Amino acid sequence: MGDLVSFRDFTIKDYHGRLQKGEFSVEELVKMFLERIERVDGLIHAFLSLDSERVEKRARELQEKKPQGELPPLWGIPIAIKDNICVKDLPTTCGSKMLHNFIAPYDATVMERLKAAGALIIGKTNMDEFAMGSSTENSAFGPTRNPLDLARVPGGSSGGSAAALSALEAPLALGSDTGGSVRQPAAFCGVVGLRPTYGRVSRYGLVSFASSLDQIGSMSRKVEDCITLFEVLSGSDDRDSTCAPYPPFSRREIPPEEEITRIKVGIPKEYFSSGVDRSIVKSIEEVFHLLRKRGIECVEVSLPHTECALEAYYIVAPAEASSNLARYDGVFYGLRSEGDTLQEMYSHTRTNGFGREVKRRIILGTYALSSGYYDEYYLKGMKVRTLVRKDFEEAFQTCQLLLTPVSPCFPFLLGERTMDPYQMYLADVFTIPSAMAGIPGISINCGYHDHLPIGLQILGKPFEEGWIFGLALLIEKLLSLPSPLPHLESRKGSEQ
Amino acid sequence: MSKKLSLEEMKKVAQLAKLHFEERELLQFLQDVNGIIAHFEKLDRLNLEEVSPTSHISWSQPPTHGDEVLEWQEKESIFQYAPQVIARYFIVPKVVEKEEK
Repeated sequence: MGDLVSFRDFTIKDYHGRLQKGEFSVEELVKMFLERIERVDGLIHAFLSLDSERVEKRARELQEKKPQGELPPLWGIPIAIKDNICVKDLPTTCGSKMLHNFIAPYDATVMERLKAAGALIIGKTNMDEFAMGSSTENSAFGPTRNPLDLARVPGGSSGGSAAALSALEAPLALGSDTGGSVRQPAAFCGVVGLRPTYGRVSRYGLVSFASSLDQIGSMSRKVEDCITLFEVLSGSDDRDSTCAPYPPFSRREIPPEEEITRIKVGIPKEYFSSGVDRSIVKSIEEVFHLLRKRGIECVEVSLPHTECALEAYYIVAPAEASSNLARYDGVFYGLRSEGDTLQEMYSHTRTNGFGREVKRRIILGTYALSSGYYDEYYLKGMKVRTLVRKDFEEAFQTCQLLLTPVSPCFPFLLGERTMDPYQMYLADVFTIPSAMAGIPGISINCGYHDHLPIGLQILGKPFEEGWIFGLALLIEKLLSLPSPLPHLESRKGSEQ
Repeated sequence: MSKKLSLEEMKKVAQLAKLHFEERELLQFLQDVNGIIAHFEKLDRLNLEEVSPTSHISWSQPPTHGDEVLEWQEKESIFQYAPQVIARYFIVPKVVEKEEK
């Protein structure tokens, strides 16, 4: 039957091949992942809840009704879900005390699609509270640790999903990306994370943080699996009016390799400034070198409003969050604290239920929207957003794709940035502009410095995920880096 | 733009946001928030007069559908997971306060 460690570089296709040959059953596959979680999750805390019983039962049912011929795209494949996406009958805490007792009574659209494609929901993953953070340290249920270095953060806010993939606790995961929350943790954990074009994946059933920015992202260990997952998730949805009325993504949209090698790739100079760790720059420059050797032209471009995008984001996103999080008042959802008056009940509930970073952003957003400051802050933030969007439009006049680092820094130590919120925000400085512009981007691993992974970001034009995947596949092939396999079990005294 | 929040303004904003802070906590939050706002000064360097705002990214006309009443299919789950239910009624906190005499 083999064990998960020997499946290090497996894709869905490989699992399906083994399942078809009868080398192992769906139930056995699920058990392997559950056992791995049991062995290693005590060290990293990627999961907030597991659905072991139901997932094993569902695995048995799938196996019994195994289709003849071609299998549905995610048939029998376990997947970990970020805990801000509603899965019917499972907790959806958003990493917050506020929703510690909330069980979703319905499935998000993406969950319906995953289930229809045969995926098996293994559990819900840890995250920064309400997706506000870059390290997963803001979870009310304790931080997640980076499987590649337990003293360091896995990034955030989808840190649980990224860590689960990196530690081989699940072959697939879902995250959500508001300003980089899929791509940055993917980079910190050495895995793959896609933020789709805004509107390409339904947000129905995703707990809102900043509605004009939130997108559900596909996460995996290999680019190939990210493509399969994205094919399943994407497509229009009547229940989300911001979801574009376009058909689902198809891998047929990925241009052939010979076409990829004829494109021009832009290198935005602002993403290689002095604030970026030199080892990250060096590693990415090596990728440029490889691409040039394959005939791809790499040209310098400018995105002049990159730096301002971070500031504008920290006006716009908290403003939207302060409005979205107004619904947590003790009446409809989760926690309810007592109070002598209605106002007191609201205030006690919110004061007890929200953590420090969430309160900080609610204050910031409430202030930015308050009478007398709207023009000075929120309106200004929206105007800068226009400039950021135009920067990308102009850059894409001369090139097909953009290549940048995902983050200016390596995964930092737990606690290193918690006292200085702005330092924490800077970890997302290269993922925020594209989120503000609504364009798609992927994070893939492009190497290691010591044992810490380096993330490469590929940004594309709206709805052109096909080009992004095309280049990502080529880079993955050229680098041929093995997928991460941290030696976690040896720390507990067992063999690996 | 580089305005700093005063303690009084901070109290007002906290009240609007329905959050309560002890005095010491309030000062810490004030310091944090003012630290972040100070960075917004960068935006003052931009000439934004002629720039139109982007509140939402929209690539196409948002889809519309008829204003039809649809049956909610998950009624039992709603009752199953509600914090307090009697028969098929939700128990919610009393929101009408006694008038002071």
